[in-house]
Amino acid sequence: MNRWLSLLALLLTSACGGAPRSDVSLCGPGGRLRVGLVGAQEGQLESAAGVLADREQFRLRELLTVASRCEVQLEPVVSPEQARLRLKSGGWDLAFLPPGLTAFALEQNGGYGLVRQLGRRGNSKSQLLVKASRGLTSRADLRGQRLGLLPRGSLSGFYLPLFNLHGLRFSEVQYALSFARLREMLNDDKVDVIAWDGAIPHGMEGFEVLHEDSHLIPLGALALSQPLLQADHQPFLHQLDENVTQLPRSLGYASGVLPEPYALQELRAIVAAVEGWSLPQGGQAYTVYGAKSATIAGQGGKR
Amino acid sequence: MSPIKRLFPEPGRRPLRQQLAITLTAILTLSILVAVLLLNLLFGWQARELIDQRAAFFMDAMLSVRAYTSKKVNPIVAPLNQGAGLFRPEAVPSFSAQTVAGLLKDNPDYREYSYREAALNPTNLRDKADSFETGIIEKFRRDPSLKRQSGSKATPLGVVHFVAQPIKVSKESCLVCHSTPQRAPTSQLLAYGDSSGFGWKLNEIVGTQIVTVPQKAVFAAKDRSLIATAVLMTLAFAGVGVITNLVLNQLILRPMREISRKAEEASVIPATVNFEERERRDEIGLLARSFERMKQSLAISMQMLKDRKGQGG
Ligand code: HEC
Repeated sequence: MNRWLSLLALLLTSACGGAPRSDVSLCGPGGRLRVGLVGAQEGQLESAAGVLADREQFRLRELLTVASRCEVQLEPVVSPEQARLRLKSGGWDLAFLPPGLTAFALEQNGGYGLVRQLGRRGNSKSQLLVKASRGLTSRADLRGQRLGLLPRGSLSGFYLPLFNLHGLRFSEVQYALSFARLREMLNDDKVDVIAWDGAIPHGMEGFEVLHEDSHLIPLGALALSQPLLQADHQPFLHQLDENVTQLPRSLGYASGVLPEPYALQELRAIVAAVEGWSLPQGGQAYTVYGAKSATIAGQGGKR
Repeated sequence: MSPIKRLFPEPGRRPLRQQLAITLTAILTLSILVAVLLLNLLFGWQARELIDQRAAFFMDAMLSVRAYTSKKVNPIVAPLNQGAGLFRPEAVPSFSAQTVAGLLKDNPDYREYSYREAALNPTNLRDKADSFETGIIEKFRRDPSLKRQSGSKATPLGVVHFVAQPIKVSKESCLVCHSTPQRAPTSQLLAYGDSSGFGWKLNEIVGTQIVTVPQKAVFAAKDRSLIATAVLMTLAFAGVGVITNLVLNQLILRPMREISRKAEEASVIPATVNFEERERRDEIGLLARSFERMKQSLAISMQMLKDRKGQGG
């Protein structure tokens, strides 16, 4: 008797429990949801493990699985360059991106659309940092020096610095994954000038800002691939919005907030222009050269 | 009432044909039930075998992709990774196996198959073992002779069958990229960072290859064949029942009704009745011969009675 009751209860709950939750899944090709996770900030990760603590990663994966009803392949990536390659080859169906890659994702023709805002508003600006003792005062002084950058894909650490250094020749270009590591390289005299984020205190005596770009670095975004944008993705986003506490705090996921594409417009043009140049190889000499788009407003900057 | 007796309810209360039908139905239903139960076990075993086979094949295919990358691709691509340029993951066996598995999944037929290389301390954080995978890896590490684990795994999307094998750092060459950041190519550090995927030791079990294959479809197919078999068996048994009934009618009931009709007739005018069935060599023939003898004695008795009446009158 008891058994029949529990069976009945099971049938009822499975019949009713399934009903309100939409059964549509939001998957990429192959029934999988390939998720890229770079985070909202650029060059702030001391280490790869810093992207996400393990527990956060599993919680995020579970939430995405439940929300999308697909097998989720979550790929946290530390190098914007790797992320850039994934975006370019359409290797991700959904990605949590910092500003530079957000702009890049929009430039992929028909590739990605932005659905949620990531990160917290700050006053990040792209700067060029040198050692005060070197006596470098203007950009022209940087001719023949060694340049330290974040990997390709970063706005404040790659696209904007290169854009602002147009026409200069460097004897060597070096890369690092974080601003902290770049600062170390500058301190150790491995490079002469580095890209820097104005919102981070540079913390050590003896550095000075040689140039500051006028653009405020915008926020990052959650990007969806075109096929997902065309599918019914609202229930999925709704689930994320409702369970925002399950998302890693460092992502700065903003429930229900759509990104402001116009904040990115000018920066997109810069990213597109720089992407069109022949770009520096690590460890090699490089002349910053290429066409600047006519639509880009003045570069601005002090000094 | 004992169960056997219940099979033959109240013998003699119904026509033979009905008695037989009831008995046959009971026996056949029982045997169908038993057969379906046994077949369910057999088909289930076959289904699990099939799933295991598919998983093993998938796993072996991925191992071959890994071997191909190590032997054929890595020697060509590895030198490109020495500089600080872009890291080419095509030289990495793990990358090629997971990429091939991804391409396979693009084919709708293999949508529910998956392949993963999970590690406790992975280079690519995508490969970070979750708690389930960590359990599997720990078990392999505790028992180095263990070559395989398999079973069912519940996921938020349903139950899947998994097969896992250990990944061992079997060659010194692996340590170039997986021991210390200093030894690894600069390009790899720029692509993956320098804080994870290092510190692996020679002959250490660092991770597991896990394939999962769908279970639902195979078990659904099993259930379908089971139902089909049951239906076929029911039809066949029903046929057997009908035929048995017809045969019974033809061989026993009809001749018996015939004999009984003749016996009735013989009770009035024995001379005109002829039990042809006595030519038969079966029990009906025996019965007919008995009736024939009875008819003859009856005829003689009636004759004697007549004669006596004639003498007396
Ligand atoms: C050229 C450097 C290199 C060599 C040599 C190399 N690996 Fe890797 N390995 C990598 C990289 C890079 C990844 C991450 C690939 C990706 O992005 O999918 C990786 C991934 C892996 C993974 C998946 C888990 C993880 O760390 O992401 C395993 C397991 C693995 N390697 C084992 C081995 C074994 C065993 C050998 C020796 C037969 C070996 N590797 C040789 C660079 C290398």
